[in-house]
Amino acid sequence: MKEGPRGARETAMFRAKLGKMFMRSALGQRLFAPIVLFALLLPAQLDAQRARPAAGAAPADDGQWTMPSKDFASTRYSALGQINRSNVRQLRPVFNFDTGNRRGHEAPPLVIGSTMYLVTPYPNSVIALDLAKPRPTVKWTFRPAQKRAAQGVACCDVVNRGAVYSGGRLFLNTLDGQAIAIDAASGRQIWRTQLGNINKGETITMAPLVAEGRVLVGNSGGEFGVRGWIAALDAGSGRVVWKAYSTGPDKDVLIGPGFRPFYPSDRGKDLGVATWPPEAWKIGGGTVWGWISYDPRTKTIFYGTGNPGPWNPAQRPGANKWTTGVFARDIRTGQARWFYQSSPHDLYDHDDINEQILLDMPVGGRMRGVLVRPGRNGYMYVIDRASGQVLSADAYGYINSARGVDLRTGQLIPVKEKEPKEGRVVRNICPAAPGAKDWNPSAFSPRTGLIYVPHINLCMDVGAIEANYIAGTPYVGADVKMYPGPGGNRGVFTAWDPVRRRATWELKEDLPLWSPALATGGDLVFYGTMDGWFKALDATTGKLLWRAKLDSGIIGQPISYRGPDGRQYVAVHSGVGGWAGAIVAGALDPRDPSGALGFVNAMRDLPGRTKAGGRLFVFALPR
Amino acid sequence: MSSRFRVSLILLAALASAGCEREQRDPRGKPLPEDQSNVAKGDPRDNAYENVSYQLAQGQRLYGWMNCTGCHAHGGGGMGPPLMDEEWRYGGRMEDVVATILNGRPNGMPAFKGRITEQQAWQLAAYVRSLSAQPRQDVLGSRPDKMSTTEPATISEREKVVDETPALPRDEKD
Amino acid sequence: MRRALPLLLPLAGCDTVQSMTGGDGRQGALFNDLFVIFAIVTLVMLALVLTGLIASIFRRHPAKSSVPGENDEARDAPFRPLLIGWVALIATGLLFLTTATYLTDRAMQARAPANRLLEIEITANQWWWDIRYKSSKPWQTIRTANEIHLPVGIPARITLKSNDVIHSFWVPNLAGKQDLIPGRRTDTVLEPKRIGVYRSQCAEFCGAQHAHMALDVTVESWADFNAWRVRQLTPAPAPATPLALAGYNYVTTRECASCHAIAGTPASAQVAPDLTHLASRRSIAAGTFPMTRGHLYAWIADPQGAKPGNNMPVVGLEPNELHSVIAYLETLK
Repeated sequence: MKEGPRGARETAMFRAKLGKMFMRSALGQRLFAPIVLFALLLPAQLDAQRARPAAGAAPADDGQWTMPSKDFASTRYSALGQINRSNVRQLRPVFNFDTGNRRGHEAPPLVIGSTMYLVTPYPNSVIALDLAKPRPTVKWTFRPAQKRAAQGVACCDVVNRGAVYSGGRLFLNTLDGQAIAIDAASGRQIWRTQLGNINKGETITMAPLVAEGRVLVGNSGGEFGVRGWIAALDAGSGRVVWKAYSTGPDKDVLIGPGFRPFYPSDRGKDLGVATWPPEAWKIGGGTVWGWISYDPRTKTIFYGTGNPGPWNPAQRPGANKWTTGVFARDIRTGQARWFYQSSPHDLYDHDDINEQILLDMPVGGRMRGVLVRPGRNGYMYVIDRASGQVLSADAYGYINSARGVDLRTGQLIPVKEKEPKEGRVVRNICPAAPGAKDWNPSAFSPRTGLIYVPHINLCMDVGAIEANYIAGTPYVGADVKMYPGPGGNRGVFTAWDPVRRRATWELKEDLPLWSPALATGGDLVFYGTMDGWFKALDATTGKLLWRAKLDSGIIGQPISYRGPDGRQYVAVHSGVGGWAGAIVAGALDPRDPSGALGFVNAMRDLPGRTKAGGRLFVFALPR
Repeated sequence: MSSRFRVSLILLAALASAGCEREQRDPRGKPLPEDQSNVAKGDPRDNAYENVSYQLAQGQRLYGWMNCTGCHAHGGGGMGPPLMDEEWRYGGRMEDVVATILNGRPNGMPAFKGRITEQQAWQLAAYVRSLSAQPRQDVLGSRPDKMSTTEPATISEREKVVDETPALPRDEKD
Repeated sequence: MRRALPLLLPLAGCDTVQSMTGGDGRQGALFNDLFVIFAIVTLVMLALVLTGLIASIFRRHPAKSSVPGENDEARDAPFRPLLIGWVALIATGLLFLTTATYLTDRAMQARAPANRLLEIEITANQWWWDIRYKSSKPWQTIRTANEIHLPVGIPARITLKSNDVIHSFWVPNLAGKQDLIPGRRTDTVLEPKRIGVYRSQCAEFCGAQHAHMALDVTVESWADFNAWRVRQLTPAPAPATPLALAGYNYVTTRECASCHAIAGTPASAQVAPDLTHLASRRSIAAGTFPMTRGHLYAWIADPQGAKPGNNMPVVGLEPNELHSVIAYLETLK
């Protein structure tokens, strides 16, 4: 799980000493030539030992940023290397742009050609900036017509996780449940489709995935008893081609004869009904508000489903399929290929919507096509893309609510004493409800072969109460209070080696890390903290090389692109918010620890360290 | 019995029975009277709900049942604004809070008219105002019916959450 | 033993639905037997004591002793064996009662084989009972309110919880009392022996309507019980008449749906009794009214009149709304 007490440097020294002793021996003299040959070929072999993005899913970098995950394999890696470890200290802000919005900015700016597109939180304006001008100017602004009442059913700040550019169009979702396509050149709306119903508590915050002429959209609202679904719309017309629910009978979940789950517990008829009390699946959750990855070779999409509703597990006995699990589906028809449930009968709101990075890497000696995902429940899953088999699940954070994952059955092994009980308070549950890592995605660098995971270290007390279902109001049933986990640091930045299945290096942060990571070809890793520090680390050693303080906390995806002048730029939004930053974005009262579903207790110092904002910052090297 | 003894006994009985004033409860929620001409200021129902402990207690129950805790927590806020501070976006008098609850508000407060009765809305308003300690202290509820957020008195120190992972080569205090 | 029961006639009352001496359940029968043993032993002792007392009152005081040199101790000497015998009798009696108590307690606690157990969870609220029948298959769990059905001869383990204050679950005919304490789980086992209809009563003062917190218990054959269970699992039927449809629209979109649940409709709230099979129950509002049309009207129109202070508010229905709501509720069999 974690590396032993010996550091990398000491190991290298020890090996060098051994090498010297060997070369002086008689055996060493005879084996000299073969060894030299072997050593020359070693880099090639080591290269073969390293993980790579899945073939076909991560095309060569063109210097643009067309979707929040950078590519279908979700690497969030920019191959540009002009800014590197030796010159990053000179990185300077080049320009900044105030969006005028003061809620949490989670979306990355998109850069296509010489135009940059920004997406704001509610009311989800899209702003096009012309980068060709010496001082970037606004080309157009698109303001979707939205229902204001949608703000009242957004669980975790009125965020939006980004738009996607494809074929001259921008595709995005609005908070009140619309999917919209606009013309990228003019900002004109081409089509819009109403998918969500805010009267049931349904909103949409996720960034869509556009591939094969389909726009994939999923809903939010797991805290409102919303039945989750993912839909594919035709990119040209906006018509719904297929829609797969996350609970209910097989015909609604699009489970047909081609469904081949790896584990026996996922096989059966209508499990989306049979693993719930009667009627509970209709308000069961399983919303799809996170990240989708796509493998073009097999035409398969991979995505996770959210938590079951309500949080109080006593009201929904059963495994609660198909919530808190990963689906693999055919992008053309929506038919499910396989499913794996990370947290059956979820007890802690451990939505499984985190990113899945599609990699080809050696597992047990041979190359396999896998997806690697830092699970919300604290385990780093390596799952075979074709079969859905869990190849490994190693803890990357502190967990005392589960003993591990049984790889024979795929089941999470819960700790009975940490199960929430009605009318009582269960204390010291780790990881807390946002898990070891929430929505903010990690980045993968093919140069180092490491996954850079910005995540959190929180534990919680939970008092479960009977939840009452009233459509359009929260359906939770839990009083929660969160606080820092072991060590006292609320955030962690981990560089994880997926082949060796352990962390290579780790950085502790005082505040939780709610921002995504960016990896670049200059062997740098970028991320932001909730009090506004935008940092660049050495991707190999984790040494802090550069940082800049922005006017507000950072929860947005940093990007790197090639500007019209050919130089490399790094851009990120400031604008704290989201679930962790709700105390600032929503101006909450720190005296009530149960505010923001328990997060207020862990973030009482945040209002003193940063303020609300919404400004894009762009950095580059001096000319 | 001497006459002096009898007199003091009667006086004592009278004194004891004077403490028998009981709070008037109105389980049916009387509607507004037809004749409104004598109304000086504010809604006459203010007094029937504002400082009546029973109505506050019912409001406390309804606050949990109607999922107010889901958005407003126990006054701290979350999806909705905090209710325990002095800032009122749409007015903090009883009638204002009742109107907010029944009619909803533009930026996301749902409308509960037709989903709860007016009496229940008044009970909720009385409880909401108690979150910022507006009613008299003696009518406020004593049992909060929520997770105790202070350390239990029987735990002298927080149980150590022990992390067994060994130290990593890199640590940065920022 | 049963023949001795007429001794307890003054205690039985006239109501056999809620009768502690019914002995219709295994625990209740065992307890009644023990009660009879105690009654007999203590009555016999009482008779002896009273005899001794009366005898000592009417015994003639002896005149000054005619035997020269005799004192009190010598005069009492013939009574000593009687005294020793009396003490021995008391000791034996107490030992007998203790043993009987111990054996009865052991018999009542005897564990029934797990695979024959029915699992029920009862959560007490002010002032109604929320009942869930558990099952190893989640889709076969049943939720109902204020009424339980039990198959005769099969032990049922009942887990007891409370949402607010301390209540007490007591089916006098079947078993003893067990408290429901907020924040804790307690349990009891009921094993009915006779088919019949019984009534339970909350036995711990729990607020203004503690007196109107009854639970109807129906004990029936295994086949009838299964038929009842299958009926409970079916969702509510769609309304057939226009009046019932208007009632359905009201119930699922207005005040009712904020607290009540009816399976098969959008109403899924949890804080008030489940109404899916309301019309098949024996009583309304936890035993306050019998289930008749008129009483249903009275309850819905003015719940505070029947049970003042309970948590169902006066909705203030218009007459046509009331007619349509009752028409719909009557279809919920």
